[in-house]
Amino acid sequence: MSSFSKSPWIIHYDASSCNGCDIEVLACLTPVFDVERLGVVNTGNPKHADIFLVTGAVNEQSHVVIRNIYNQMPEPKVVVAVGVCAATGGVFRECYNISGGVDSVIPVDVHVPGCAARPEAIIDGVVQALGVLEKKHADMVATAANIDQTIYLPAEAGDAPAVLALQKVAGQTEAELYGDESLPVLQQTLTELLGDMGRMLFIKAVVNSKLIGFARGEIRPDGICETAVVVHPYFRRHGIGRRLHEEIEQAFPDAHRFETFTGQRNEPGLRLLAKLGYREFKTEPFTPAIMWVHLQRERQ
Amino acid sequence: MNTWVRVILYLIAAPVVGCLLAGWDRRISARMQSRRGPPILQPLYDVQKLWQKQNIVVRRSQNFYIVFFLLLVVFTGALFFAGSDLLLVIFALTLAAIFFVLGAYNASSPYSFVGAERELIQMMAYEPMILLTAIGMYIATKSFSVDAIAGHPTLLVLMLPGIFLGFLYTLEIKFRKSPFDLSCSHHAHQELVRGITTEFSGRTLALIEIAHWYENVFLLGWVYLFFASSPLLGVAVSLLVFVFVILVDNVFARLKWQTAIRSAWVVAAVLGFGNILVLSLLSGKPATAALVAATKPVERVEVPIHGAPLAPNPAGVAPRRN
Repeated sequence: MSSFSKSPWIIHYDASSCNGCDIEVLACLTPVFDVERLGVVNTGNPKHADIFLVTGAVNEQSHVVIRNIYNQMPEPKVVVAVGVCAATGGVFRECYNISGGVDSVIPVDVHVPGCAARPEAIIDGVVQALGVLEKKHADMVATAANIDQTIYLPAEAGDAPAVLALQKVAGQTEAELYGDESLPVLQQTLTELLGDMGRMLFIKAVVNSKLIGFARGEIRPDGICETAVVVHPYFRRHGIGRRLHEEIEQAFPDAHRFETFTGQRNEPGLRLLAKLGYREFKTEPFTPAIMWVHLQRERQ
Repeated sequence: MNTWVRVILYLIAAPVVGCLLAGWDRRISARMQSRRGPPILQPLYDVQKLWQKQNIVVRRSQNFYIVFFLLLVVFTGALFFAGSDLLLVIFALTLAAIFFVLGAYNASSPYSFVGAERELIQMMAYEPMILLTAIGMYIATKSFSVDAIAGHPTLLVLMLPGIFLGFLYTLEIKFRKSPFDLSCSHHAHQELVRGITTEFSGRTLALIEIAHWYENVFLLGWVYLFFASSPLLGVAVSLLVFVFVILVDNVFARLKWQTAIRSAWVVAAVLGFGNILVLSLLSGKPATAALVAATKPVERVEVPIHGAPLAPNPAGVAPRRN
């Protein structure tokens, strides 16, 4: 048992609960249940939290907040959906403004049943979450330790959900630079991605059977290859992006020129591309906040 | 004991003692609220966990400031336990706190800003009393050296009861406990999110925790100095003071920052300065030395002490002894 299961810090958010579950969550902190004896701290700060307790169904106003809190929490993190509303929408499922349970916005690791969930059930849910937290941490350590054993393979249609999840995580860091979530990687749906995968070549970077990056490339009739590379924020600065660029170039022996684009504020990305020999040849506004910088390089 | 032995002992033992104190703090608080409370080693588990978490930053440089905060807090304690100049210790302590505030300012988040501003206000609140404590100790022992003060034959608290009480008041602020947990709200107060530490996560937050352990041991060491002629009594009172701080933490609600700064200055003026005045009257000498010491700007405090007048120092530069 590592220190993760001894010191779970919790952030609690009420998505649109009737307050029944919230009262039970707070009851866990009272002398009767006293979850602090397990090391639990009820912190109000997502940056200090390990476990995200969400109560209530997700509505139009709360989904942004849920995503925001989730993105601000440092890895490893676990989401616990407390109560039946957080699981499926509960009695509010049919409401015009309810989009369903918490897993319609972020991945949920533990569901706690009940209406309202009993304090005992919530504590049990938190204890279950500790197991998930331990496992996630072990996975992180194993992946980081084996980063030099990354393998590069062509991706198949079966990888699409993992690719979609990865590009949403990776796109988030860039979206924060602009305060604008309209980046194509964030907006793409699974169907659109499957269409792309049918048309283009996707190469994935895999460690311990976990997808940590991918590159895609498509050759145009004029011999110009359009490429894009995405790496999980956690595994950047390890040479994965550079290697993916090389893999794409090897995969298209007929291409005489490679083109790619990125946002104007993605400085680490622009630096890497400059190192690889890419030169800027045009800029193009995408939204008021985002300007695409197009870069190209000839095959050496 | 050799100076270096003491310093090395401090460097090794302070985090251990600080961690246990923090554990007892949470345990005693829980018992006061009729809860069971976490294990004694809970702060250690917390730091271990934070060490393995992802470190999310707004700007990378904010971590740099926190590293300096830790180093300077350690340096402050090392100076103190090496028996160095008490004034130098105070300046190092202030500099450490300033680095903490700079780190929070650097993170450019509204919560972090409010926390940093409140931390500055707290510093303004406790600095006069801390300086008066050093001056009082000088008047009682004729030396600013911690070694000399600790070796003084009389029980200092008998000569400095007012200053001791005033110092207790500043300890409440320094420990960041209710009623003065303005900058970094503990427990369930969340309107500031986490105030000054809001934007720190992972290892940086762990470093802040460790810095607090060092700082708490150093502060209790200072309490011991009031009872240094009777070591057992000194240790006992230091621990009692710690329990007292926890009791006050659990009994009081938080004060507004205006009340905090006003009350701290009133305490410094009445208890601190009053004590110095009485002391100088009782010792039969004119009160001028004390008055000069207390009314002149902080940088010039040493003028009547070492005889040799120094040029006015720019603020923040530690004065050297000739």
